[in-house]
Amino acid sequence: MAPNDKKTNNKIFNWLNERYNLSALIDFAKKKSVPKFRETIWYYFGGIALLLFVVQVISGILLLMYYKGTEDLAFESVHFISTKVSFGWLIRSVHSWSANLMVLSVFIHMFSVYFLKGFRNPRELTWYTGFGLLAISMAFGFSGYLLPWNELAFFATKVGTDIVGEVPLIGEPLLILLRGGEDVTGATLSRFFGFHVAIFPGIFVILLTLHLLMIQRQGIAEPEDYKKLPANEKKTIPFFPNFAMRELLIWLIVINILAILAVFFPWELGTKADPFSSAPVGIRPEWYFLFMFQVFKFLPGEILFLHGELVGIILFGIGILLWAIVPVWDRKTSKGEKNTILTYFGIFVISFIIVFTILGYILD
Amino acid sequence: MKNKIKYFLVLVLFLIISTNFIKAQSDDQCFICHTDIEDVKANLFKTDIHHLKGISCAACHGGDSSTDDMDIAMSEEKGFIGIPKRTTRYEVCIKCHADQNQMKKFGSNISTDQFEKLKVSVHFQPSFNNQGPIADCITCHSVHDIKRVNDQASKVYPTKITKLCGSCHSSAEYMKLYNPALPIDQVAKYRTSIHGTLNANGDANAAECASCHGSHEIQPVKDSRSLVYATNIPAVCANCHSDAKLMSNYKIPTDQYENYVNSVHGVALLEKGDLSSPSCNDCHGNHGAVPPGVESISKVCGTCHVLNMELFEKSPHKKAFDENDFPECESCHGNHLIEQATDAMVGTQKPAVCVECHSSEDNNKGYIVAGEMKQLIDSLKTEDAETKVILDEAGQKGMDVSDADFSLKDVRQVLIQSRTTIHAFNLEKFKEQINEGYTIINKAKLSGEEAIDEFYYRRIGLGFSTVIVTLLVIGLYIKLRKVEKKT
Repeated sequence: MAPNDKKTNNKIFNWLNERYNLSALIDFAKKKSVPKFRETIWYYFGGIALLLFVVQVISGILLLMYYKGTEDLAFESVHFISTKVSFGWLIRSVHSWSANLMVLSVFIHMFSVYFLKGFRNPRELTWYTGFGLLAISMAFGFSGYLLPWNELAFFATKVGTDIVGEVPLIGEPLLILLRGGEDVTGATLSRFFGFHVAIFPGIFVILLTLHLLMIQRQGIAEPEDYKKLPANEKKTIPFFPNFAMRELLIWLIVINILAILAVFFPWELGTKADPFSSAPVGIRPEWYFLFMFQVFKFLPGEILFLHGELVGIILFGIGILLWAIVPVWDRKTSKGEKNTILTYFGIFVISFIIVFTILGYILD
Repeated sequence: MKNKIKYFLVLVLFLIISTNFIKAQSDDQCFICHTDIEDVKANLFKTDIHHLKGISCAACHGGDSSTDDMDIAMSEEKGFIGIPKRTTRYEVCIKCHADQNQMKKFGSNISTDQFEKLKVSVHFQPSFNNQGPIADCITCHSVHDIKRVNDQASKVYPTKITKLCGSCHSSAEYMKLYNPALPIDQVAKYRTSIHGTLNANGDANAAECASCHGSHEIQPVKDSRSLVYATNIPAVCANCHSDAKLMSNYKIPTDQYENYVNSVHGVALLEKGDLSSPSCNDCHGNHGAVPPGVESISKVCGTCHVLNMELFEKSPHKKAFDENDFPECESCHGNHLIEQATDAMVGTQKPAVCVECHSSEDNNKGYIVAGEMKQLIDSLKTEDAETKVILDEAGQKGMDVSDADFSLKDVRQVLIQSRTTIHAFNLEKFKEQINEGYTIINKAKLSGEEAIDEFYYRRIGLGFSTVIVTLLVIGLYIKLRKVEKKT
């Protein structure tokens, strides 16, 4: 850098520093570090999810310029984007792939936090906001799936919302709320479009801001084994620039993967939804709902005196609730004790999801 | 001697039968009295088949025909009903005619299902004034002078039935009570037909109303149960026209039905159930059935194939065909065995029909035009197929070419139109039509090729971006190593 350039930069920095006290931020960043141990790799997945969310926002805004969220025009507008708009095919494909990779990253991030016990006291709220972000990510996926208004998505949404309708007490009103009526119609599409581009992003940004603020405020969680190490044996990586550069490096690799997927496996549009036609063979939701969908397929019509789907909803409800409130029922970890039940529960959940997702693809 | 015994036995037998017959008739006191008073009905009844079979008046009117006491014979106690009610008079007939045992008693083998058929027929629907069915047994067979069906005096004898049916069906006053839209000129048309002419000359084998419409089971023409419903007509006509023995009297072939069944029209109508496909009557007429004349064939075919007819009539072929007495459409397409027209019918090589008249000798213009037309239509089809391959390739590469693919459907339309335009036998006009197809194909082909180019462009673009990002990754990695070494 030429001395004159350096001078100019200093001037700008000083001007900003006077107004915004940047030095304090720099000091904070300098002191910020990340524990270095065998499982440090998992720390990157939160960042990857963040990158993919940004990709989603940018590609989503670009798609919004051409997408029309009505029954008559939705399919045609997506077809137009894919065929006529310059790089429209790329934007749409990136948006679809990035959505899937984002949900995958959020899942991996959540499981890594779970197994590294990052949810324990005092980071319960970070866990809850993270869980909320996962739920919204899945809701993003569910609502976005319908937007191209193609046959597969239409019927998958019908089945998905049917299951919601089975929820005790609130099922029926919830179904009406989601569908905008008794059936999946153009009203459902408009509603899902609204959820997808306004309501969910709003909630997501609030939760994400809180989530990031809490992490910054409390620092990155240290695993129990690492915490017990003597101070001189604790290895750390400075957040700036080392960890940030590593994260950037991974982001670039993810962008490369995303580009390859988008070009080599462009997201198909299928055929336009026809509400009056019979359901096609092979309806299935996005992969992250597939395990639940497959379980519902296996459930018998009646279990004891209850409707099979209702039993499924109750069991899934209990399971999800237990997972969400893990900081509440896991007393041992906070006390520095090992909680093997917690680990087995986590392994069971992962195995359950993987097995039923595979079955969903195999038995299709 | 033997002969004498034989004659004696015949005489005895005759006497026994006659005596019984006379006895049976002489027992019918109703008939005796009513004949004595010169009752017209009794007079008619003398030759009625029922009277000849020994059936008394009481069989229909009730009462006691064995007594000559009028008060007793026509008393209610004896079951006298007088003239049967209009609404239920058919019941009197079906007492015997729907009962096989009864009919056998009188030595009759005629079918007993007439009423079963009649009661579901259009004629048995209630009359407008609710006075029983529109037509019942008496309406057609009359009363008191009923004859065997094959008796020339019978009202339903083939040469008389037309008049009988016409008594209602030719009356505008009467028919408008039931079906104002139904024409009333059937009999008049029938009389102009070959069937009607033969019938009028006393030929009982010539088709008349009942031959096609049936007798007791008559249904409206649009009812699929009707014998003259579109899909049933070929078989109805074949009843006579495929009967070699019957047709030998008229010296006409009997293969029309077999040919028709295998024709494009027959397959469409009889196998696919396409009611718009012509049946026998659509070309030959129905009540006024006659074979279409040589010059009117294109008009007959043209009732459906309008454009082909119009083009043909303006074509140079029209004059040539007329001069040579060629049966227009039939010359190339045949008549009853009309096959699916294919592009092979045009050209200069068999099975092209053009070479039947045009040969390569003396630079025959028709021969040259036929060859060019064939070449044009074939090359359009080839181009179409090649373009489909290009679009398929683009599709397999994941490119969306649905618009171009869809536009190719118009080429099919152009081909259909071109095949119609052939009937103008005008090369310039034909080229004009074919060129429309080329315009569509060229556009679709360009879209397909652009899509394939775009596919490779995307791959190259991806390659560049991947290289750039990978270089950035490597650079960043080197920088990171340096930074980490320092710390």
